[in-house]
Amino acid sequence: MDPVKLTIDGREVVTTKGKKVIQAAADAGIVIPYYCYHPKLSIAGNCRMCLVEIEKMPRLQIACNTDVSEGMVVLTQSPKVVEARKSVMEFLLVNHPLDCPICDQSGECWLQDYYMQHDLQGSRFEERKEHDRKREIFGPYVVFDGERCIKCTRCVRFLQEVTRTGELEVLNRGDHSTITRFPGRTLDNPLSVNVVDICPVGALTDRDFRFKVRVWYLKKTPSVCPGCSTGCNISVETYQNRIARFKPRVNEEVNSHWLCDEGRYCFHALTEVERLTSPLIRQEGGLVPTDWETALWAALTGLGKADPLAGVLSGRNTNEEAFLFGKVIAKLSAQPALEVFYQERELTETEKVLKSPDRSPNFQGARDMGVSTNGGFDLLLRELIEGKFRGAYIVGEDLVSLPGNGEKIRQALEKLSFLVVQDTELTSTAKLAHVVLPATNFAEKEGTYTNRKGRVQKLNAALVPPVGALHDWQIFARLLPDVGEKISSHTPAEIFQEISRQIPRYGGLSYATIGELGIQLSDETKQL
Amino acid sequence: MEKILLRNIDIQDSHTLQVYESRGGYRALRKALKEMTPERVTEEVKASGLRGRGGAGFPTGMKWSFVPKDSLKPKYLICNADESEPGTFKDRLLIEKDPHAMVEGVILASYAIQFHTAFIYIRGELAFGAKVLERAIAEAYQAGYLGKNISGSGYDLELILHRGAGAYICGEETGLLSSLEGGRGWPKVKPPFPATHGLFGCPTIVNNVETLAVVPWIIDQGAARYAAIGTEKSKGTKLFCVSGHIRNPGVYEVEMGYPFRQFLEEDCGGVPGGKKLKGVIPGGASMPVLRADEIEGVRMDYESMQAAGTLLGSGGVIVMDDSTCMVKTAWNIARFFAHESCGQCSPCREGCHWMEKIFARIDNGSGEKADLDLILNISGNIIGRTICPFGDAAAMPAAAFIKKYRDEFEEHIRQKRCVLT
Repeated sequence: MDPVKLTIDGREVVTTKGKKVIQAAADAGIVIPYYCYHPKLSIAGNCRMCLVEIEKMPRLQIACNTDVSEGMVVLTQSPKVVEARKSVMEFLLVNHPLDCPICDQSGECWLQDYYMQHDLQGSRFEERKEHDRKREIFGPYVVFDGERCIKCTRCVRFLQEVTRTGELEVLNRGDHSTITRFPGRTLDNPLSVNVVDICPVGALTDRDFRFKVRVWYLKKTPSVCPGCSTGCNISVETYQNRIARFKPRVNEEVNSHWLCDEGRYCFHALTEVERLTSPLIRQEGGLVPTDWETALWAALTGLGKADPLAGVLSGRNTNEEAFLFGKVIAKLSAQPALEVFYQERELTETEKVLKSPDRSPNFQGARDMGVSTNGGFDLLLRELIEGKFRGAYIVGEDLVSLPGNGEKIRQALEKLSFLVVQDTELTSTAKLAHVVLPATNFAEKEGTYTNRKGRVQKLNAALVPPVGALHDWQIFARLLPDVGEKISSHTPAEIFQEISRQIPRYGGLSYATIGELGIQLSDETKQL
Repeated sequence: MEKILLRNIDIQDSHTLQVYESRGGYRALRKALKEMTPERVTEEVKASGLRGRGGAGFPTGMKWSFVPKDSLKPKYLICNADESEPGTFKDRLLIEKDPHAMVEGVILASYAIQFHTAFIYIRGELAFGAKVLERAIAEAYQAGYLGKNISGSGYDLELILHRGAGAYICGEETGLLSSLEGGRGWPKVKPPFPATHGLFGCPTIVNNVETLAVVPWIIDQGAARYAAIGTEKSKGTKLFCVSGHIRNPGVYEVEMGYPFRQFLEEDCGGVPGGKKLKGVIPGGASMPVLRADEIEGVRMDYESMQAAGTLLGSGGVIVMDDSTCMVKTAWNIARFFAHESCGQCSPCREGCHWMEKIFARIDNGSGEKADLDLILNISGNIIGRTICPFGDAAAMPAAAFIKKYRDEFEEHIRQKRCVLT
């Protein structure tokens, strides 16, 4: 890593050999506008928006493809550069339909932003605009508008270089150039919607999201994707207390700039359900609403008499919840069988770019918290089916609806002397319970997840939970004193503090310093 | 003047190996393989002062020396036979009439840089030329000038003929590379340059047909003889293709530095039909036009043409007499470039068509005076800001026509019709 010293806009910048001017400038906080450049894709150099002046070079150079060199003098705001940007903006808008009022990209469109920053002039173009295909369905989630496209080829390069599926290519020449699918191809690879994220304009939009809400109304909460244990960093974008979309947040240690389609849309199944807003208790004739006091007391006394007891925690429960759950179960049973939900499936090569084989974002954290005393989830399930247990406390997983074993699990659960189910909706599993406790989902609570690779990341509350439901950690915290465990932590932050004291691998961590990008647990502490 | 490039073309069956050899063909190759090291061949070409005849005029020997010697990758020589510049038909003549000179040039160049694979990328429309070349290459293989152990020297070279699919931009060297790789004919961003990262990312040299075709003569006759011809900086002879309003159109071999006016009036017989010369494009449609009064004193070499505000380019001389409507001519050229813009980078993709549309509007009588400055401004916004030289090639002539024939444009706009009819 040889240091290179150069001057950008009169400021001395020290960077490393091999960097491009655009990166060196960005690292120094100097913004050079661009469209086609993307740090994770090959250099295309086609938009010409990042033209800068470099001393001793007669022509303007594109900052995205110019290597830094010792003593280089770069101007990003000189009259020549400012004028060139203006002209590039004018060219890009020549055939653009200017349909911002009906364009879903409006508000997060780079053409709009750069127009305000670098152009601000009326168009001198008075000829007939070229037309192109509108609303062409590229795939299950992506729709294309050829007239808004600026041919930056980010989508084409993403599909060639990241997913290696190559569905799209540029067709035709000159101002008839357009993006098209190869004949017979559909843009349906498992990472397809990333092309929407990297499209700087309104050419590629998200069929699931578009027309739901204007983007400037969105409230953005940094969080972690609950889809699998990769733990992709996301922004949960909400409107009127509903999730409108997930967007990936850049984290080079986890997901780079990307998010898979399954993770992106997993919030539909997880949040768009008929919510439980009151605890339910089984009386003759079925489940009837009751108050929390009664429900919790019934749950404790029922489970206390149903040893051997199985505890199943959802893979979407936080570390803080797992920590408390372990304590609750330990008090209820002499030999508790405790596991976090975990099942694997086969992944395709493209899926492996990002996805993990499970659907349990926090299985690693839950195991770290001690929610794994029974030789794995599969064994626990088998023993449950074999009738080893008399009672069960199932949190956040609808075991009866599992493909394959569902019916056997139903029969096993029906035979239990006592079953408590804690979930956001009245699942098939919950319908079998003696007590049902209404809980909240991943988007409503805060806490921490530990991903497959041992990175502790923070979940933030993006939604307000319905009245009547409690967070899983709140429920456990209310149960603990009743089983004789003193508890002094009353918030996820305090519980995490307790974890860092009691779990060696998490020793020394603090909730406040996890930040938006998480903290990697070291392998040495893992061995302790 | 001794003919160098056109020395064989008037001979019966000049395209055959037999005739080529009977006129001293492949003597240079045998000499090089026997008596000269590869470095010596490069030095000889450097000493000759030969500059690339594709249009840019870059010193050929120097280009060859840019190839990294220590690279373990395969290396490729490419003969650019994608001649498509409007008004240019010199390579076509060489391909059809003297293909072996070209093939021998390819072998000599490959030997000099120690490449073992060479391609000839020939313009798709030159179907006959491709047939001639195919035959010539087969003959050369048969005679042992190509393939393994050429003429017993231990040097191997495979030569592959590839036909383009008909895009002007594939004559641009990196556009050619993209096309040869099987992709869209999109020029590549530079750096890296082809000498280090060319075809399939390997070191590659791209030379024009005319450049390579003269190499055998230089090796055979010696660099000093070649360097003695021409001017101080523009050595040797060059082919010029004369078309348009001229009495004797055709391909001419001219010593560099020859007076342009004399060439047009005496060698080519001047403008026919009692008409007067109005303007001439000296180096193919992409080069700025010269008014009749501007050609006085201009010489046919790189430096003199540049001093006159234009470029020698490919040597495609397009002559226009005083019956030529410059509005229509400018529009026609603009239309060509708008059609051929590859569409990769923003200024060229949008700007070429924009200019074409304005020219069309002016031509059909709907132009406004402000349109002229608008075109000049658009042209200025394209020049120097694109990935490849195509942007300049499209923008330069547009601006030149307006600057040099502004009165005619303004009158056309005022009268809403062509002022010559």
